[in-house]
Formats: sequence, structure tokens, C-alpha cells
Amino acid sequence: MSMADLTESAAAPPRTRRLAGLRRFAGFRIIVGGSLLLGLLVCALAAPWLAPFSPQEMDFLNTLVPPIWAQDPAVQMPGAEAYLLGTDSLGRDVLSNLIYGARTALYVAVVGGVCTMLLGGVLGLVSAYVGGWFDRLVVALTNLWMCFPPIVLSMILIVALGAGVNNIIIALVLVDWTRFCRVVRVEALVAMQRDYIPAARLLGFGAPRIVFGELLPAVAHIGATLLTLEMGIAVIVEAVLSFAGMGVEAHTPAWGQMIADARLYLYQNIWSMLLPVGCIFVTVLACNLLGDGLRHALDPRNRGMSHGR
Amino acid sequence: MVFVTVLLRRLLAALPLVLMLSVMVFVILRLLPADPIAMLLPPNATQADAERLRAAYGLDQPIWTQYLIWLRGMLAGDFGTSLSLGQPVAGLIAKTLPATLELVFTGGLLGIVLGGAAGLLLFGTRETLFEHVADIAVLAILSVPDLLWAILLLILFGVVLSLLPFMGRMAPGHSVPVTTGFLLLDCLLAGDLAAFRNALSHMVLPSLAIGLGFLPVVARVLRAALLETTREDYVAMARLRGLSRPRVLVNYELRNAAVPTVSLIGVQLAFLMGGTMMVEVVFSYPGLGNLMVEAVRAQDLPLIQGVALVYCVLILGLNALVDAAYTLLNPRLRSAI
Repeated sequence: MSMADLTESAAAPPRTRRLAGLRRFAGFRIIVGGSLLLGLLVCALAAPWLAPFSPQEMDFLNTLVPPIWAQDPAVQMPGAEAYLLGTDSLGRDVLSNLIYGARTALYVAVVGGVCTMLLGGVLGLVSAYVGGWFDRLVVALTNLWMCFPPIVLSMILIVALGAGVNNIIIALVLVDWTRFCRVVRVEALVAMQRDYIPAARLLGFGAPRIVFGELLPAVAHIGATLLTLEMGIAVIVEAVLSFAGMGVEAHTPAWGQMIADARLYLYQNIWSMLLPVGCIFVTVLACNLLGDGLRHALDPRNRGMSHGR
Repeated sequence: MVFVTVLLRRLLAALPLVLMLSVMVFVILRLLPADPIAMLLPPNATQADAERLRAAYGLDQPIWTQYLIWLRGMLAGDFGTSLSLGQPVAGLIAKTLPATLELVFTGGLLGIVLGGAAGLLLFGTRETLFEHVADIAVLAILSVPDLLWAILLLILFGVVLSLLPFMGRMAPGHSVPVTTGFLLLDCLLAGDLAAFRNALSHMVLPSLAIGLGFLPVVARVLRAALLETTREDYVAMARLRGLSRPRVLVNYELRNAAVPTVSLIGVQLAFLMGGTMMVEVVFSYPGLGNLMVEAVRAQDLPLIQGVALVYCVLILGLNALVDAAYTLLNPRLRSAI
């Protein structure tokens, strides 16, 4: 994804007339994506207060209840209307599980995204600055990593690490660091050509100060953009692994696991499958909107000219 | 000729990578905390039974010896024996690989066609209000991973509308002799058109799920490449010569935009291959992805190793093909080699 996005921003025919409109459009995406993410974050943090039931609470009289708008009072047992979005095959409240699922998803997205950025970003920066054999080693490693479909590598890692939310994060970091490393390294190499790097050397700055004080600001906008996109990817990875039954622990509410459970009762209650699908979509869309908007707003190449889109 | 030379050179260059990948897969899987043998043993097994079984699978040897045994076996075409299924890994892969390749081909083709159309739409409507709408639409499509496409298509066309089958590769009523393993091809070779139609209808939903997952990637790359070429002098020249817009688009802009598009699509091949995995699981499609997920669930080390390595080899092979196709498309590279 990142590769295509970055080449795209280079294609920019100058059209100053439309500049204001495009700026506003990038701003629109940042606002919509940002507020969606903020809302999800609030849901995740306030889950114990927002959720009407405990996510594990079972009601065996009311299993596979459809959401309130699809309920038929003649068929449902009394008490079914308490479940706004219905229940799953064990009579667990879907709404509460969705809210707690947001907790799991955003935890993986934020912690996993930031750790991935730190590992990949620092490796990319250092490798661009140091050069030589270290740079060649990092490039060789990223090339090796690119031979794997990401999901295959994360599955192998999960086999080795075992299931669990934190192990998903470790697998995510170990698989996706290359996304940051490749892009940050190239951007840092471009920045190395600027006069201020030799100037900093002449001033006697040490390597850490040059890397983190001079190079880092030059690539920070890329890091921010990739981070939001990576958060979306993290949500997908968590959902896919949970769906395959190798993600979170059995008692942790997660959207992917809800989909896997609902798949067995597809003909009885479609909603318990559609709702978590919708949640994943909204979260990933929010990340992509924010990332796309940030890319346009922060890219220094777009300053003072239009983005040609 | 250049095509073959480049292809062979790339494949040769990929060999050391395959070796390193095999070491990587092997070492990661030996970090496993669980004992893969434990699942094979009956509950009343003694310590001695476990030791005997471990020795039978070579798991009592030091890790490097184990690796060398595995490597030597693979060079002879023997990928070991699956712990959970009790069959040779090579045979299991040979049975499922054509199914996955078929799906990658149809899904990739659909993705390129749909993505190409979407890319042209984005390019054609540039600098209009509609572009913003189309842009958001592509972003929305990008936000639906293959797994969710598979589920949504299954619900809509399989369950709600009952239009298309969504389990396996063919209805139980049909059977064709296996000659190539590629089901569509086998049906045609057997001259069984009913079976062909049935197999094709089973491929629609999984291929569409993969194609829709690939669409935004292709659309965005193509749009960017077209925007790049449209600023070139030869495009302005063609317009000045009074060529019609479609002609400029097809003969000048698309032809030149195809070069970077193909190379960037090559970069995304791993993404395409990975996408087939979950789609196969959702549609119970008997391919490599389903095999891999089953192997992972059963902690079947020889099977996981074998399938993972086959995925890597496939990606390296497809990348070599894309590189070779790139030289065909880009005349500037032809003389350079």
C-alpha cells in the first residue's frame, strides 16, 4: 500500500487554482477519520461503563437473538429486547462484545503500530546514516522479509509464540517493521544529500544528535502517515488471526473471533456476523482516511502547490 | 529471448534467498514452546513411547542436523511427513497448489481488470467533483480486507440471494479425472462442460473477493502512473498533432503508464498471495491457504514448513516473471541486457 501511496504523491501537476479546495478536502479526511478514531478510542477506554452487559455473561434462554429492529416479539423469549444488537450462540450480548472488542482492536492498533514504527523507523534512520555493511544488511533483511506473504509470516510467528494479544503485537512488529524501514530509509537518504547534514557534522554534532535531531524531523511526516495506515493494518491482522482461531485468548472479546463464531450460525442470525464486519471496516476506514489526509497535509512537497488529485 | 534470459537470471538469483528463507522458517518454528509430538501420543503413552516417536521423526537430533536432514530431503523432493495427517507433505502440497494457483490467476486477473477500470475512472474524472467521490470510494474499498470481502460476498450472494455456490471447488455430483490438477483445465480436457460451468461458478465468489482486495492497489498505481505520463512532452506532442483523446490515452499514456504499473504490481504480489489464504478458509476452498491454517491449528511442523516455503518460492517465481515482463514492456531495458 505504502509504495503506491508514495509514488502517487510525486505525481502532482501544478494547479494553484484548485489549491484551496484540495486543502479543504485533505482536511475533511483528517477530521472525519480523526473523529471516528477518537470515538472508537472513547468506546474502548470507557467499555466497562458503556457496555450494558459483561461480554462473557451468557443467557441460554436468549441465544442467537437478532438485533432489536429485526426481532419478532411472537418468537422471542421475554427479555430479548434488552439485547439491543442481539446475542450470539451462547447468549452473550453482541453490543457489549463489540464495545470490548474495540478495546482489543485499538490496543493492538496503538501499541502494535507505535512499536512497529519505532523498530522500523529507527532501523531505517540508522541504516541510512551509518551506511556500509549495516545498510546492506538491513536492505538484505527487508528483501528477505518481502518474500513472505505477511499473513504467512505472522502465522508462523504465532505458532512459535502461542496465541494471545501481546503475541499478536510481537508478531505484527516482527512482520511489518519493513514497511517503515524501507520508506524511512529512502527518505532519510534523500535528506542526507541536503547541506544541513554536513553542516551539522562540521559543527561537531555527534551521530545520535544528527540522526535524531536533524534526520528525524525530515522523515517525521512519513512516520506519522505510515503509523495511521499501520494501525489499520494491525486491526486487520488481529481480526484475521482471531478469525483463524490463533489470535486472542478464548475469553478475550475480539471482532475476528465474533465473526468466526457467527459463521457457524449464519443461517440463524446474519447480524452477529455483519456487525463485527462493520466495526472492522469503520476502524480501518478511519485509519486510512486519517493517513491519506495526513499524507497530503504533511508532505512538504505539497506545500505551496496542489496535489493533482 | 530477452524474456527468457531475464527470467532465468532472476530465478538463479532467487536461489540463495530460498535457502535463507528455509533457515528462517526452520529456526522460528523450533522456538515453539509446545511439544509437537504430544498431540500424536495416546493419553496413556509412556516416556519411552514419546522418545521412540521423537526419534522416528528425527526430533531428538540437534537443530542443525534436523535442518540438514530436512534440506537434503527437499532437494530430493521429499518434504517430510505431516504429523497430523500422516501423509507426505509433498503430496499434500501437490494436491492443493494448483487450486491456489488457479485462484491467484482468476482473482489477480479480476483485480487487474477492475482496478484498471477504476484507475481509468479516477484518471478520467481528475479535477472534477466526481473525483473526490471516486477517491473516497476507492479508499473505502481499500479498507475492506480480503477476509471481509469473502464474508460479505458469501452472505450476499451465497446466503441471502442463494445465487452462487460457496463451498469447495465443485458440487459433489460432478467428477472429472485429474490430469493437471487445475480443475477448470481438467474439465475442458475431459470435455465435460457441465462440470466446467459448475467449477467456474464455484470460483466466482472467491475470485471476486481476491479481485476486490486487489482493486484499489491497481487503481491507485495506475492513476499515479497516468498522471505522471500525461505531463510528458510526447503526450503534448500527440495532442498537438490532433490525435483524438482515446487514441492519445491508449497509444501514448496507457502504454507508458503500463511500465511502472507492472513493476509496482509485482511489489504487491506477496499481498495478493497472502490474500488468497483467508479467502480459501472462508469458502472451504481446498488450496494451500486452507492447508496452512489446518497445519497451524494442529501445530504440524513439517507441513507448516513445507507450505510456508512453497509460498515464498511462488512469490519469488512470480516476481521473476514480473521482472521479465517488465523488460518486454520497457524498450529502454531491452538493449541494456
